[in-house]
Amino acid sequence: MSGPETVDRVLISAAVVFVVVACALLLFRISRGPSMLDRAIGLDVFAAVIIAGLGAKSAFARDSFYFPIMLVLAFLGFTGSVGIARFIAVRDKPLSRGKPAGRSTGESAGESAGKEGRG
Amino acid sequence: MNVWLQITDTAGAVLVFLGAAICLLGVVGMVKLPDVLSRSHAATKPQTLGLLLVLAGVALRLRGGMDLATLALIGFFQLMTGPVAAHLVARSAYRTGQIEHGELLFDDLDAQLTEPGQDSGAGQDADPGPGRS
Repeated sequence: MSGPETVDRVLISAAVVFVVVACALLLFRISRGPSMLDRAIGLDVFAAVIIAGLGAKSAFARDSFYFPIMLVLAFLGFTGSVGIARFIAVRDKPLSRGKPAGRSTGESAGESAGKEGRG
Repeated sequence: MNVWLQITDTAGAVLVFLGAAICLLGVVGMVKLPDVLSRSHAATKPQTLGLLLVLAGVALRLRGGMDLATLALIGFFQLMTGPVAAHLVARSAYRTGQIEHGELLFDDLDAQLTEPGQDSGAGQDADPGPGRS
């Protein structure tokens, strides 16, 4: 093994170590997040970090076997975060100040009912 | 010629390393920043810059036509879907009152949201049409 190849292997190995450390910190944030929105952002970044890790593995081994998985993660990784932000986070913490809420989803009926009950 | 291929390989490895380092920096920001909007700000660094650097490094190391097309598609879809999720999360954070209103320098959405509700009470008729869905 020549010198520059060793440099490449060391650099990509360090990149994989960074990705693993980033995944560990993200798991800490997802488990610790004060609200569901923090967890949603954490899951969104988690998909991006997994794509980066698979890219580092592909660069290390010079194969394109994991490219479809990276493509699907880039295409569908945001759906979980969108679902949490749209349907779960509204239920998670109630409104703290009087303002009209969104009316296009299912939770608007309960919120408007509560608003009528207050006013 | 072989020297240039070696240089391209090393440049790709350096780009992968830089992308992973930026991913780690963004995640450290996500752990340390205090607010949903601040974390959303820190979350965009791995999603766009770090991932694009890693994909560029992989493209420099693989150098195949089909591989380059797939990597370009991955970057394109990541750039398309990232702002959608960030927008919905920030919107939900604002509407459920999970952000510190005292720390915002500009808050134009506050006037957009609260003034019609205070003017006409809390009925369904206080619904300005555009920009509310």
